[in-house]
Amino acid sequence: MGTLDYIWMGIQAVFQGPELFSLFGLPVSVTIVMILAGFLTGIAVGATPGLAGPIAMAIALPILISVFGYTPDALLPVMGFLIGVMKGATIGGAVPAILFNTPGTPDAFMTTLDGFPMTRRGKAKKALRVAHFASASGDTFSDIVLIVCAPFLALLVEAYLDLPEKTALLILSLSFIAAVIGGSPAKGLISTGLGLLAVYVGTGEDFYPRLSMGSPSLSQGFPIATAVLGVLIIGAVLKELEDLWRRKRDSGEIAVHKDEGDQRLHGADIRRLLPYVGRSALIGTAIGALPGIGSTLAATLGYTVGRARYAKKKRPDAPEFGKGASEGIAATEAANSSVSGANLIPVLSLGIPGNAAAVFLILAAESIGGFNPGPSVFRFTTDSVNPELVIAFGLFTAMMVANVLNWTIGGLFMRSMGVMIRVPKHILLPSVLLLTLTAIYVQETRMEAIWFAVGFGVLGYLMRTVAISPLPFVIAFILGGKLEESARQAFAATGGDPWFLFTNPGAALLMAVAFAVILFSARKKKEVA
Amino acid sequence: MVRSSRSNLILGSLVLAFAAAVLALWIPLDTQTGLIEKVRRQVVIGDALAPTVAALFLVLGGGLLVFVERKAPNQPKPSLAGLAFIARLLAIVFVSLLVMRFAGPVAVWFVNAFQGGDLEYRLLRDTAPWKYLGFFLGGTLMISGMVSLAEGRVSRKAVLAAVLAVIVMIFIYDVPFDDLLLPPNGDV
Repeated sequence: MGTLDYIWMGIQAVFQGPELFSLFGLPVSVTIVMILAGFLTGIAVGATPGLAGPIAMAIALPILISVFGYTPDALLPVMGFLIGVMKGATIGGAVPAILFNTPGTPDAFMTTLDGFPMTRRGKAKKALRVAHFASASGDTFSDIVLIVCAPFLALLVEAYLDLPEKTALLILSLSFIAAVIGGSPAKGLISTGLGLLAVYVGTGEDFYPRLSMGSPSLSQGFPIATAVLGVLIIGAVLKELEDLWRRKRDSGEIAVHKDEGDQRLHGADIRRLLPYVGRSALIGTAIGALPGIGSTLAATLGYTVGRARYAKKKRPDAPEFGKGASEGIAATEAANSSVSGANLIPVLSLGIPGNAAAVFLILAAESIGGFNPGPSVFRFTTDSVNPELVIAFGLFTAMMVANVLNWTIGGLFMRSMGVMIRVPKHILLPSVLLLTLTAIYVQETRMEAIWFAVGFGVLGYLMRTVAISPLPFVIAFILGGKLEESARQAFAATGGDPWFLFTNPGAALLMAVAFAVILFSARKKKEVA
Repeated sequence: MVRSSRSNLILGSLVLAFAAAVLALWIPLDTQTGLIEKVRRQVVIGDALAPTVAALFLVLGGGLLVFVERKAPNQPKPSLAGLAFIARLLAIVFVSLLVMRFAGPVAVWFVNAFQGGDLEYRLLRDTAPWKYLGFFLGGTLMISGMVSLAEGRVSRKAVLAAVLAVIVMIFIYDVPFDDLLLPPNGDV
């Protein structure tokens, strides 16, 4: 088995998987249909203010697992759907930002700055076309970087990192995520600490389930779905409801702006936009490859760099950045869209999720089984087939299929989604809450799970209220078990050396970087204060 | 003008107090093995080490908040009115979940009491309409209650929207599947 054989098997797994129906005599595999369904769902969800990709993933996951079962054959259709949602939501978020000055997703905020002024000038369709072009370009570029880099990074990790280094790498990842998410290293560390504490309840190697306070309910630990969906989704719904109640959501009429003049995107437009798209795609991909740094920062940086270039190159009659320049939309959308593919680099090569979408991909892989994202996936065994590697190349193929869909039908579908702004948020959010609780129940089939999820939801709400990002909590919850297991193995392998993180040079270096990241971020924060 | 408040100081102090309680009370009293244990002449990591590392993250975070980020600008200030709104919202969720859990068994009890049968909800939990009773009533109460709270009034529109949403959810999670159970049918 060579590398090309694995790539070919991955492509075949997507296109020649179980057939759902045939079109003009050609079999259409269920994975392709699921990617398409996920992509269209993602655009609709992204275009609906108050909803986001992770909510759709949370609601869909138990249904998908119930439909496809717990066999390795389920991996590609289920994860293909999630990848479709991830990509669709990225472009969908620009729709209400451009048409109604309301970002569908947080990372589309900068899109409102130039998108809505273009709509007011009667150039809404053109603005949507620019957003789609930039978004699809950034996303495709980022996926290519992922496909090229992830296997190499995984091979490097497997070749050079031993157990102590792997433990130190996990600590470094957690420290980095804590330091960069949310802008406050202190609050990031608190979020990480709470996530670790939660995952250690009811687990351990002793007969007595630790930290369970003698309660049979706690002795099994918190199911992963209750913690992840509780903190991420229910917490967000509670906070949104509170904000809604606070604003008493104005029910004013939505202003309608008529399109005027040429709405098409010409070759000259594309040539003018390409330098902005290219720079932003590079920025977004570099940021996305680091776990924890979200697409909102990428969008802000892409926009800032774009504005600097525009100030030098702009025609005298062209609008300023922030006043309806299509370059502003292109710079923002290319940056935030190129984060999604690169964010899967640490997931697939190290098993470390960097954003909420990656968390759900790991959740799906853990629920179904047969695929454990991490360096071991990329073992190019020659004497026998490594099924995880076939799945990895299948996922890359699924991403490329989603990109093809994005380039072909994505723009058209995106432009028809303006209607989603009219979905009333105060009815939508309680429905999402019940949907999430139901999704948790059908997986766990015990009311305790619902109570746990509500409890984690309250925690997520309180964290948001005091500006603590819930993402480090979720990532720590997912990585906590792996961290402890790896530390136990490293401790045993070094003959019970309690200083194994500092006596091994590689591990010591990674630990020094972990401390430096925290100290540097804290010092920077103090300077700002 | 940036707003400076004592939020970070209060939050940091609370986190430090919680971390101290975890380190001094919860971990020692609720974990059977220490940080490092000797098992069959081999030194292994005990169950207390991982939660201790978690608590150290809290100590570090709380400490940084108190000593480094105490005067950070634009600190959030949670409002009592907001917390009171969420408390009312959670009360609706709590009551709705109780209705969801007990509506089915109570309905069966009433039917038995008035018609003299000996039905058992447990045996009916996979039979329509019994299996939908708790989810329908509890779910409708939850959504309509939350919508009414957000709107500041109870409206027919809120109840209708809730009924519609719950019916859609039944069609998503139950009707197409034989192996999925709606709440609370896995417990009763």
